[in-house]
Amino acid sequence: MSNGAISNSIRTLRFMNNEMTQKQLAEKIGVTRQTVMAIEANKYSPSLEVAFKIAHVFNLPLEDVFQYQQHE
Amino acid sequence: MTRLAEVKAFLQSISFRELTLSIDLLASAYIGYFYLQRVFYATPEQLASSTWLSALLLQVIIYSIAIMVISYIVLAFVSDNELEQPLDVREKQINLVGYKYTAYILQAGICIAIFQYQAEAQGFGPSIEYNIPFLPLHIMVSAFLLAEVANYSAQLYKGRTGDIYE
Repeated sequence: MSNGAISNSIRTLRFMNNEMTQKQLAEKIGVTRQTVMAIEANKYSPSLEVAFKIAHVFNLPLEDVFQYQQHE
Repeated sequence: MTRLAEVKAFLQSISFRELTLSIDLLASAYIGYFYLQRVFYATPEQLASSTWLSALLLQVIIYSIAIMVISYIVLAFVSDNELEQPLDVREKQINLVGYKYTAYILQAGICIAIFQYQAEAQGFGPSIEYNIPFLPLHIMVSAFLLAEVANYSAQLYKGRTGDIYE
């Protein structure tokens, strides 16, 4: 899998939502804080279920949270 | 960032799973060291004795169980029910990567042991040259212990760097 193909705005969205911590987000979506850290750093592409859960936490559609850029 | 701040940041970033894996790694490394040290410093009479070898393998099994039980009891006291939480998707992937390296080492160990056994039966090879009886067994036990160490090391490395795609 190529790195950097999927980016996200989770860090910005957390701060816009009462400065939600990584731990709080992790508890809401049922993963560990390390997984949230890895997703934010674009080192790990979450499963579809986790991606939808994150979007649901922020009350946003999926494409506002995750962006996919296709490499040429 | 100063060295102290770096250490603090590292301790805050370490997860309970990483702590568990670190303890498992240390326990496996110690058991491996214990086994190899006993084998390397054994007399030729001890190496040739199946009773001595059985006792050593029994010691390895008992020490492994005892260290794992003690470490999990200690971890259970310091955790907030974190031991009971299931692995998330990413951790399961990292777990699988760890088992992949375990499988490689076990396969290599078993193949080397089979070749060694065949060579021994034909009257040549290191076990004849250096007079090491039960060498195929030692190779398989060493491969097993090395595989455990590789499994925990790979999981810690992959979990820390996040580089889980291969």
